[in-house]
Amino acid sequence: MKTESPITYFNGEWLWLGNIGHSMAVIAFLAAIMSAVFYFWHEKTALSRDLVFAKRLFQLHVFSVIAMFVVLFIAIFYHRYEYYYAWRHSSNALPVYYMISCFWEGQEGSFLLWLFWNGLIGLVLQRVAKNWESPVMVVIAFAQIALSSMLMGFHWGEFSLGSSPFDLLREQRPDFLEIPILGQMGVENYLQLFKDGNGLNQLLQNYWMVIHPPTLFLGFATAIVPFAYSLASLWRKNDRGWIPFALIWSLVCVGILGLGVIMGGFWAYESLSFGGYWAWDPVENASLMPWLIMASAAHMLIITKSTGRHVFTSHLLVQLAFWLVLYATFLTRSGILGDSSVHSFTDLGLSGQLLIFLLAFLALALVVILQGKQRKWALYSIAGFFFIPMALAYGIETPEKLELFYQWLKGLGTILFLGWLVFYLYLLFQRTKADLGDELIHSREFWMFLGSMFLILSLVQVFAGTSIPVFNKLFGYKTAVPTAADYNRVQLWLAMPIMLLMSLGYWFKFRETAFSTIKKPLFFILLASIGITFLLGYGFAIVGAKFILFLFLGVTLVLSNLLYGFKKKKFEWIRWGGNITHIGFGVLLIGVLVSSVNKNILSASREGIDLAPEVDSKGNQDKKGIKFNRENQLLYKGKPQQLKGYTATYIDNIQGVKNDSIDKYFKVLFVNRDESGKILDSFVLMPKTQNNPKMGLLAEPSTRHFLHKDIFTHVGYESGMDRKEPFSNFRLDTMGFYKPFITQTGKVVMRIDSIIRSVNGDGLSIVLTVKAKRLQDSVWLRPAFLINEKTGSFNSIPAEDNRFGIMISILNIQITDSTPNTNNIRFVIQSGEKTPVWDYIVIQVIEFPWINLVWAGTIIMVFGFILAIVNRIRKQKQFIP
Amino acid sequence: MKPFHIILLCIAGIGIALVVSLYGNTTQYVVFPDAKRMAQENPGKDVHVVCKLNKAKPVIYDAQVNANRLEFNAFDSLNNECAVVFTKPKPTQFEQLEKMVLIGYYEKDHFLANEILSKCPSKYVESPPKIVRQ
Repeated sequence: MKTESPITYFNGEWLWLGNIGHSMAVIAFLAAIMSAVFYFWHEKTALSRDLVFAKRLFQLHVFSVIAMFVVLFIAIFYHRYEYYYAWRHSSNALPVYYMISCFWEGQEGSFLLWLFWNGLIGLVLQRVAKNWESPVMVVIAFAQIALSSMLMGFHWGEFSLGSSPFDLLREQRPDFLEIPILGQMGVENYLQLFKDGNGLNQLLQNYWMVIHPPTLFLGFATAIVPFAYSLASLWRKNDRGWIPFALIWSLVCVGILGLGVIMGGFWAYESLSFGGYWAWDPVENASLMPWLIMASAAHMLIITKSTGRHVFTSHLLVQLAFWLVLYATFLTRSGILGDSSVHSFTDLGLSGQLLIFLLAFLALALVVILQGKQRKWALYSIAGFFFIPMALAYGIETPEKLELFYQWLKGLGTILFLGWLVFYLYLLFQRTKADLGDELIHSREFWMFLGSMFLILSLVQVFAGTSIPVFNKLFGYKTAVPTAADYNRVQLWLAMPIMLLMSLGYWFKFRETAFSTIKKPLFFILLASIGITFLLGYGFAIVGAKFILFLFLGVTLVLSNLLYGFKKKKFEWIRWGGNITHIGFGVLLIGVLVSSVNKNILSASREGIDLAPEVDSKGNQDKKGIKFNRENQLLYKGKPQQLKGYTATYIDNIQGVKNDSIDKYFKVLFVNRDESGKILDSFVLMPKTQNNPKMGLLAEPSTRHFLHKDIFTHVGYESGMDRKEPFSNFRLDTMGFYKPFITQTGKVVMRIDSIIRSVNGDGLSIVLTVKAKRLQDSVWLRPAFLINEKTGSFNSIPAEDNRFGIMISILNIQITDSTPNTNNIRFVIQSGEKTPVWDYIVIQVIEFPWINLVWAGTIIMVFGFILAIVNRIRKQKQFIP
Repeated sequence: MKPFHIILLCIAGIGIALVVSLYGNTTQYVVFPDAKRMAQENPGKDVHVVCKLNKAKPVIYDAQVNANRLEFNAFDSLNNECAVVFTKPKPTQFEQLEKMVLIGYYEKDHFLANEILSKCPSKYVESPPKIVRQ
């Protein structure tokens, strides 16, 4: 037991701020509950009074969420480090535009953002959902209850509900109050020690990190709307009116989520040093999974809307997409990926709550789908069932003697969960199945269905791989997550049928099409694609049958959709949405193919080749040096080094102090000459390393963008990281304008060239410019001497040069004559020497050909989505005036 | 059996095949003696080893000799020691890493790692306050 602190008042705290925040959290939670209840009643009784209450309560909820947002921002903006969240995630030096990034570094901030987006979506739904408002809003409000419960931060002994962003530092870290110096200062003055915060992760201090997470979160948040419509339709006994609404929202979700995912890739490419935009990291996969399934769901909804078929599959996919959003949140936020992901997040002890969140929605879906007596039984079983996951979740730290019991409980919980799932799917199928006879192969719905299935197959593999850490935890396996190559190998083949179906599908009409009517354009596309593939394959230098096939299908996809658009839609651009999206997807995939297959490591070297086998395990010659990673080259300062295509010269490094870290920029000149020595192109790249006290050394790449390629480089190592040989052979002597200084070994002679005096805040600073000469070579050194006039103390800043192996430092200044003449000034100098070393850097240089196609494809896709959404909304308005 | 159902079955079949082949290809977290044994059966197949650096023995990296070779000794989770060669530049703050995952295989007398996943302890550190005197 901790002894209760007798001190109840602490100086300088803004407690009122946190009190507002806490109150707003409680109001948000209660208003969400009440709103859900009133929406529920309105759906049952259709009393307009209930609807008004429900609407207002939800608006109150959104207001409180926004207020929480503002309060947390104020705490960060005014550096109120008595709040744990502000202290943990921000610092004084943090620029205002990065303060917003603090919201997604921490768990509570991310949930707040999610709440915020959901709230805004709810407000939009209040305006556009018309007669679907109440059942849909019940689901949204239900999600808000669950989410806002996670920000409550109530503690009852061992049990806690959520984790509040307004918790005080001294509550979260009581150990900080025991810092010895507080004994003298008085514990009540503890804030005087916390003048600065712990700081924001350097990797998040990037402009892409200001817009990528909120975009991704908005994509995640929109996934709830089609889900809510699906449940609403089941609640209304399989009412078909939900389809067009769900379709529009699923398109919104796919568009925004897709943009968010690619933005993340672009951020990784620009600021991480792994050399690429996609690494199949579990965290990346987690955001890709809902996208794949939502894209599939959107197509299924189009089929259902046009033909009335596959109602069950539409429901299933739309719901699956939302569950995958929850699953993604669970994966990234529960700490379960700890060992397998490079960028996983810490565990805040919310995994139990997240699990319950996930199960609560399944329970809600089950309750909605059941009717009459069945529903009552379901409620009982859920009440019983909830006990188990709770025990499971909160029993993560299993007491040893209960180990067996917990294992048994886990087994039971898993079986119950699966049983539930199967039961639910069975019911869903029973409620929504419709027998409309056989599907015809000459119909658009058939090809679209097939395409959706391949998207799901793609998901199945990603899901299986990404879930491995979960299975490891559940069943105690020790399997490692698959490598990028495992994914690439399979996804390459899965993308091909998808591309083929995307090019064919449009030419068929819904229901039935005579093949003879579309034979001609399809034949034309085939011929034209072969021709273009031949040209592009030659231009991009694509080798290998499967890659050429991939390129061919990509070209077909783009061409087919272009031709279809011009033929059927002419210049009525608003109807082009689907085709443009498909074209963008095709361009993106071609970009992915060309930039990864022909990715060229320009710095690959064959030096030290005896250290690793020439031939890999499968007997393939290791031509590119990729397998054994001979990918980095050493550049001595000032000495040109021939890479593939370019001559690289490390010119200089520049140091700059930014925020709380030291940045070191390395200036590297790249020159490309033709055989006659004429310079074709030349440019300077400035990769940097950042020495951050919190995170150690980070390398940030630098990339030169051309239209047709990127040259990417990053520093893997530099001479500054070598263990430093200490200086020795010290010598103490005076130096003046006419009195040169000779080092102990006599190898270096130094002369003063000039003296710069300047007055700064506290006193005087003197900088000497010294010319050091060694044989025929010379270098400039600039030692400095600072005199603080207030205290009379002084400080010396030595200068050193590695290439000369020399260091000098001014120890004192003597004035030999009363006349203040520079000739009479003597500097007491200490010199030191060591073995001269050349500064160097180890860099990796990669050429990504045509990577701009990836970004261009994304932009085209987003544009297509916007058109498609606008067009769908327009049609819907004509339908329901 | 309608043709539609046959297609569904085919798709399900592909799905199962995908999962089976993925799990068949995955590597295991192992300890060094296992890695050695597995290398004899299946040379060159990657395995994962969770280990920590032996700080008593020297970490050899001289970029001027070979920028792509780092040598060190590591203990696995059962305290077996093994010499490791890593074929990339020395990761930053390598000596301070608490735990790392090596990906690679055993050959001759050492473990050849082509990837090191590391979690820098400082990544999650909440440092106590810097003392600011008034």
